[in-house]
Parts: sequence; structure tokens; C-alpha cells
Amino acid sequence: MSELARVESEQHGSVCLVRIFGEIDMSNDRDVLSEIEVAVGRETDRLVVDLTHTTYLDSAGLALLLRLAERMQARQQVLSVVVPVDSPVRRAFELTGLASVIDVVSRSEDALSETRPGHSNDQM
Amino acid sequence: MRRSGAEGTLFRYTSKVVLVGGAYYVAAILGLRLALIERNVTPLWPPTGIAVVAFLLFGWRVWPGIALAAFAVNLPISTNGLAAAATAAGNTVAPLVAATLLVRVGFRREIDRLQDALAIVFLGALVSMLISASVGAGTLMLSGAIPASKFPAAWAVWWTGDAMGVLVVAPFLLGLLQRPWSGSLRERIELGALLLLVADVSVLVTNTDLRLMFLVIPFLGWTAWRFQQRGAAPAALLAAGIASWAAAHGLGPFQQGTLFEKMITLQAFNATVAFSSLFFAALVTERTRAREALERSAAELEDRVALRTAELSAANEWLNREIAERHDTDRKLRQREGQLAEVQQQAQVGNWEWVIPEDRVSWSDEMYRIHGYLPKAFPLTFEKAVEQVEEEDAARLRANLEAALARGRDHDLPPSEYRIVRADGAERVLLGKARLSVGSDGRPLRMIGTVQDITEGKRAEREHRIAETLQRSLLPDRLPEIPGVLLAARYLPATSDLEVGGDWYDVVQLPNGSVGLAIGDVAGHGLRAASTMGQLRMALRAYALEEGSPSQVVGRVRRLVRMLVPDIVTLIYLVFDPESGTLRFANAGHPPPLLVEGNGETSYLEGGLGPPLGATAHPRPDIDVTAHLDAGSTLLLFTDGLVERRGTSILDGLTRLKTLAADPGEDLEALCDHLLGSMVTEEVSDDIALLALRQVPLAAEPLFLRLPAEPQVLAPLRQTVRRWLREIDADPGIVDDVLVACGEASANAIQHAYGAKDGLFEVSLVLSDGAVEVTIRDLGSWRPSSGSGRAARRGGLGQRLMRALMDSVDVDSGSEGTVVRMRRSLQVEVDRERTRAR
Repeated sequence: MSELARVESEQHGSVCLVRIFGEIDMSNDRDVLSEIEVAVGRETDRLVVDLTHTTYLDSAGLALLLRLAERMQARQQVLSVVVPVDSPVRRAFELTGLASVIDVVSRSEDALSETRPGHSNDQM
Repeated sequence: MRRSGAEGTLFRYTSKVVLVGGAYYVAAILGLRLALIERNVTPLWPPTGIAVVAFLLFGWRVWPGIALAAFAVNLPISTNGLAAAATAAGNTVAPLVAATLLVRVGFRREIDRLQDALAIVFLGALVSMLISASVGAGTLMLSGAIPASKFPAAWAVWWTGDAMGVLVVAPFLLGLLQRPWSGSLRERIELGALLLLVADVSVLVTNTDLRLMFLVIPFLGWTAWRFQQRGAAPAALLAAGIASWAAAHGLGPFQQGTLFEKMITLQAFNATVAFSSLFFAALVTERTRAREALERSAAELEDRVALRTAELSAANEWLNREIAERHDTDRKLRQREGQLAEVQQQAQVGNWEWVIPEDRVSWSDEMYRIHGYLPKAFPLTFEKAVEQVEEEDAARLRANLEAALARGRDHDLPPSEYRIVRADGAERVLLGKARLSVGSDGRPLRMIGTVQDITEGKRAEREHRIAETLQRSLLPDRLPEIPGVLLAARYLPATSDLEVGGDWYDVVQLPNGSVGLAIGDVAGHGLRAASTMGQLRMALRAYALEEGSPSQVVGRVRRLVRMLVPDIVTLIYLVFDPESGTLRFANAGHPPPLLVEGNGETSYLEGGLGPPLGATAHPRPDIDVTAHLDAGSTLLLFTDGLVERRGTSILDGLTRLKTLAADPGEDLEALCDHLLGSMVTEEVSDDIALLALRQVPLAAEPLFLRLPAEPQVLAPLRQTVRRWLREIDADPGIVDDVLVACGEASANAIQHAYGAKDGLFEVSLVLSDGAVEVTIRDLGSWRPSSGSGRAARRGGLGQRLMRALMDSVDVDSGSEGTVVRMRRSLQVEVDRERTRAR
């Protein structure tokens, strides 16, 4: 509770689901990134980062996701980010055009059900 | 009708003169009926008795009444006016002389003493009446009323007549003038009967030829014995009157014989009657009084004996009590001596006496013990007594002693501290006090004093100082500044010497913008408690930064205490979220926090209470309790020292604190002072920690913050800004936008302004014309973004976000620093999102 952000991860076969609770800013972005990378195993083909419970995310968080996306790409892994329509962090994705670089979905079910690799920008 | 004082006096005087004159005249007319010679020499002349009584009662001033009446009586029976005047003068002067003489000898009108009877008989009657007899008889002869040959007889009759008038009439009148008789009815009848008997007997004996006049005497005696003057006077008057009447009319015994024989008989009878009744009555009265006095004195004696007996028994009782008290005092004294020895042993105080001329020193048992000996081990001299004193101190003591002995008067020596080394090598620190007594010549006689072993005290004192320093150094030197949250704290160390305690409080700003508040108490006092407290405080800080809930933090501290610290500790850890006003806390055996709401309602937050840390080996898990702190509400955390008093229940203290806190006032610092001042009235027996927290509205004024340029401040900053924006009723979407823009500008200041150096930056939010103006200012110089690194990427994204989220963004960068000014209307624009997104 006292930590700014908490990271929880689940492995569903080759799909790794990481949920981020709390806030991400420049004080904890590196910690969050390394926690996510620890969660992602070799057998993971696809990583779903669920921001449903993320209450604040600014340029530091966006930069984190870009960096993560680059690393995943380098390892032939696929990244999807879950941002619900009513999320307070959704505006940041919209206004920076990040959605055109990263696969952003509205619901975690959508991201998990997707089996084929590749981008699926279903919202924007 | 009112009269003036002078008129009144004159009226009273005239009345007296007329009354006396009238009485005299009437009595004289009656008396003349008894005349034996001519018509003016009578054997019983009542007016003289009246005149004597008048002078005795009213004084000499009534003489005109007597003189005029006497003149009026004598004028018709005298040969001429001159003779009448001369006779009247004699008749006036004689009673006047009689009254004067009687007053001179202290005559009492009651005639109840023998001396009064003698006085009236001889001075009042026989002596004084020589005057009236001589003047009267002389006038008769000179005026030619009688021949010279008849002068002796006339003189004798006149003399005896006047004398009898005094003796028979005066006592009767004086008796009438006494205070009213209080005799019973029976006594009144008896007196009446006796007087009747006297009258009857008198009439009887004066109407028979037999010379039986002496028969009257026994009845007179009886009357006098029974009723004294009150009976004797009227009886004598009756007897003498009747006899005189018989003589004047030649009845009974007075039928035969010459005038002289009749005179002798009558006067002898009258004299006997008067004398015997007067004397007998006076004697009886005197005897009665003597008997009464004797009875009185006997009764008095009895009283005095009783009194004396009572006094004696009181004295005896007092003596017994005194003896018992002495006995008791003696016993107490012996008991106290024993107690003194015990007290000396406990206090490690010994006393001593030094008889200087003989150089003899005596020590109490404890003195021997302090010096490492068995009590009364050996006799002492001065040198022997100070042999253990360390050299350096001994020199100082001797110098002080020399100076004291030289002063030559009684005085107290200044207390001095010195060290001794016992025979076994142990070193002790002693405190000595002494008093010197000198003789009348100033020669030192005797010195007495005490010695206290203060070794332990010195050690404890040093420890106390260290502990207090440690304690202070371990508490936060200042509390964090949190916008919209007031904090105040107090720590009051125990006043009694060694009682530095293990109380502590702490305030931690948590990464998520919440505030952690801790207050705790390590049982015990002194250095060890203080150092335990220090360890726990640091551990709690670390756990607070890592752990989520208060119960988890308390649980971690609980494990630590169980593993590392052998003490019992009470603790409350509480997390406060200023944005929502939510309180969460866990309590390990600590007094409950007091919540004081803005309206003065108070309540203790008693939930979530677990056992103290270290008290149980396997306690159940700690639990969290949630409460809410509205704007204007105050939370008080404290240690038991604030509410516990010796001899009263802690519940009383809690109740009292609740009452005192019900009116918390505006100033939180003043509240702390007030609570401490009112709750702590005597000495502080246990140390006290007090921590107060109050939620205050933020948006009442523009928000201004000055913060260290560190990433850790961003979360608390967002929390404050979010709260401020919510309090001004900004739309939730706008709140999120401004928050991000503000965060980006602040992140830039942190990242670029100071590099690796420390610095500050300022954030202000102002409401202006339906828009919020955000200003971020730093005092550093911006470094150019370093290529394509993490910071550069973030910075680029940040710039785009700020410009997209706000209506306007101005960046003014110079050598003095950089100012970013942003503005965002609070108007909710439905189209904004779509417009910007394109």
C-alpha cells in the first residue's frame, strides 16, 4: 500500500499477464520495468500489461512501455497493453499517439484471447 | 403638664415639707391628748419620732416643715409667740441632731443589729432629747407658764416624752418603710393575733387596780422573737400608747399617787417596753443572721471541698496521662532509633560526631558500612576517620576544616564531595555535610555531620544524561511539511532523576503520498530503553516504506521485538491519506488515539487492539482499523505518561483528556501546550510523547509548494494537487489532465535543473477567471537533453502531453532558472478530446 506501484504477474501458457496497481512516474519507472522483465520468462511469447488498476501514468510510464516494447521486439516477443476506455491514463496514450506504436486494447480478455502475434489496434 | 427639672425638684421638695409638716402636726394634736403637765408636756410625744424619721429619710432640708408645724402646735398653748417659736426651735433642732448622730454612727434603719438598737436608744432618744427638753422646759419657766419650782419635773417629763416618742414611734415608722414583707398568710395571721394579744393585755392591765403592767413584757418578747422589729415595733407602740393613755386619764394603776409617781411608773414601763422590744428584736435578728452566715459558710466549705477534690483528681488524672505519654514517647523514641538506623542503611547516609578537645569521633553503624567495615568495629580519632580519603580530596577537606575551625563561631560547613578508597580497593564517592559548635570563648568544641554514599547516584546521573541526549537525538528534529495537514509533536522527559523513558513518535512520508504516524513506548527507563526505542524507530521506518498496511508494519516490528529485544513495547502505527482523509491503523497494546471532530465531538479509536509487542509468543495477526478524518478534525496520539497518574485510574486520565480536547482551537501547537499544561500538573513521573494531526482545507487559498528536486516528491505533490483541484470542484477529467501536465513540468525541473546536485523547485496553482494557472519554477540552469536516452524520450513525450492537456504552456528559461506557466480552463469542453486526438 505504501509503495507507489505494485506489480503482479500470472503465466497463462506462453502468455504472461502483468497487472500494475498504483501510479507510475519517474520515481519508480525503472523499478516497475525491471519487475515486469523479471516476470517475463523465456517461454513467454506474448506479454500483456494490464493498466486497468493504474491510476497515474505520465511520460515516464509511456517511455517505460516504449522501452519494453523495443526489448520485446528484439526478443521476438509480442506486447499488448490493456487500457480501459474510462481509465484515467487513457488520455496519455491518445494524446501522444503511442497507440500507433504499441498494441493497446480496452479489455484484458481481448488481449489474452488473441493467439496470433502481431498488432491489433482495435480501438484507435 | 410638664415641669422643668428645677420646678420638678422644687415641687417634690415642697411636697415633702408639707407632708412632713402635716404628719408632725397631726401627731402633735394626738400627743397633746396625753399631756400630764399643763397642756404641752406629754409623757409620749410622737411628733419627735416622726421628725427623726423625716430627717433620716429626706435629710436636713425638710426642717421648715418640722419648724412650722411645731410653731403651729405650740402657738395656741404658749403664753406668747416668742415662747412658741423658741419651743418650736427646740423641737426642730433635737430630732435634727438625733438624725445627724445616727447617720454618723452608721445606723441601719432595719435596726437588725444590737449596735443599731443602742444607737437609737442612747444617741437618737436620750442624748438628743436633752436639747428639746431643756429648751421647752426653760421656755415654759421663762415665759411664766410654770413656776421655777416645777421646772425639774417639767424638764423630766419633756425629756422622757420626747425620748419615748423617738423610741416607740421611730422604729414603728421605719418598720413600715421597709421593703414589703414577704410573710406567708399564716405568719400574717400570727402577727395580727400577737399584736391583738399585746393590745388586749395592755388594756387589761391598765384598767385594773392591780399592778400587773409587767404582764405585757412576755408578749412583747414573744412578738420580737417571732417577727423581730417587724413585730416588736408595732407591739411596743401599742403597749406604750395604751399605757400613756391610761396615765393621762388616771386609769388603773395611775388612779393614785402624785404626778411624779405616775410619771415614774409610766416612763419606767415605756422605757422597759421600748428597750426590751428593740434589743430583743435586734439580738434575735443578729443571731439569725449569724446562724445563716454559719450555714452559708458551711455550705461554701462543702463546695470548696468538692472543688478541691475535683482539682486533685484532675491533677491525678493528668499525672497518670503524663506518665503514660512519657512511656509512649520513650517507646517511640526507641522505635525511631531503630528506624533511623534502617533509614540510614537504605539511604546510605551515615552520621558522625567529633568531640574536638578529646579528639574522639563516633560513627553511626552506616558510617562503618560506607567505609567497608563492620558496624562499631573500632574506636575512632579524626585521623583514623579520614584515612581512606583520597590524597587530593583529603588536602581540600583539611583546608576547609582549618578555615572552619578558625572562624570561631557556630556554622554549617559547605557540603563537599570526595572519594574514598576502601581497604578492599573499592572506590566510593561520598557527599559530606558538617556543622561546627564552639564554646563561649570561640574554641571549637564539637562537630557533627552526615556522609552520604552517592556513588550510585553519580553513575545514574551520568547515565541519565546520556539517555536523555540519546532520546532527543532519536526523535525527529522536525516534522515534514504536508500541505493541508497540520502536525505538532511534544516530547516531555520524566522529571524524576533516572526516568528517561523509551517513548517515541515518528512521522514518515510514504512514497504514495500518504503519511505514516507512529507512536510507541518501550517499557522501562534509562539507557537501555532509549536505545531499544532508537532501534525500533529505524526498523519501523524501513517497514513503513516497504509494507502495505499498518497491520503488516506492526506485524514486522512485532517479529523483530520477539527476536531481538527483550522488552515489552506498545505501538500504534497509522497511515493517513490526506487526499481522502482515510486513516488506517493497527494498535499493539497502546492507549487509543483520540479523534476530535470539528464540532468538538470526541471519541477514542479503540478498535484493532492487539497485545503489546513482546508480550506473547504467538499472538494472533494484527488487524487494520479504518477511520475517517474530515477537514477540521484533529487526531491525537499519545503515550500513557499523559494520562496516567499515581493513585488514579488511567480511565480518569482518558476522560480528562477527552474533556480538555473538546475545544481544540485553531492552533495545533497551542493545543499541545494546553493539553500538556493541564494534564501534567505535578512532576512528570513517566515521560510523555504527544503527536497531533489535523486535516485542514487546502483550496481556501492558492496552493504554493517548495519542494526538493527529487523524484520522490512527485507522488506527494500529485496528491496535494489532486486534493486542491477536487476542493475547487474541478471536473475529474480536468483533474487528471492538470495532474499529468503538472507532473511533467515538475519532472522536467527535477531532471534538468540541478543534475546530480540538490536543489528546490516551486509549484503554485492559482484559480483565475474560471481557469487554473499552474506555475513550476526552478532556480537551476537546464541542461540540454542528452541525445536519445531515456530522459530525452520521456522529455519529448512530456512536452507533447503538456501542450495537449493544457490550454496554454509558456516556458521562460534564463540564467536565473526556468519558469513554466500553464493554464487550463475549468470549463468542460465536450469536443476537446476528439479535437486533440486528431
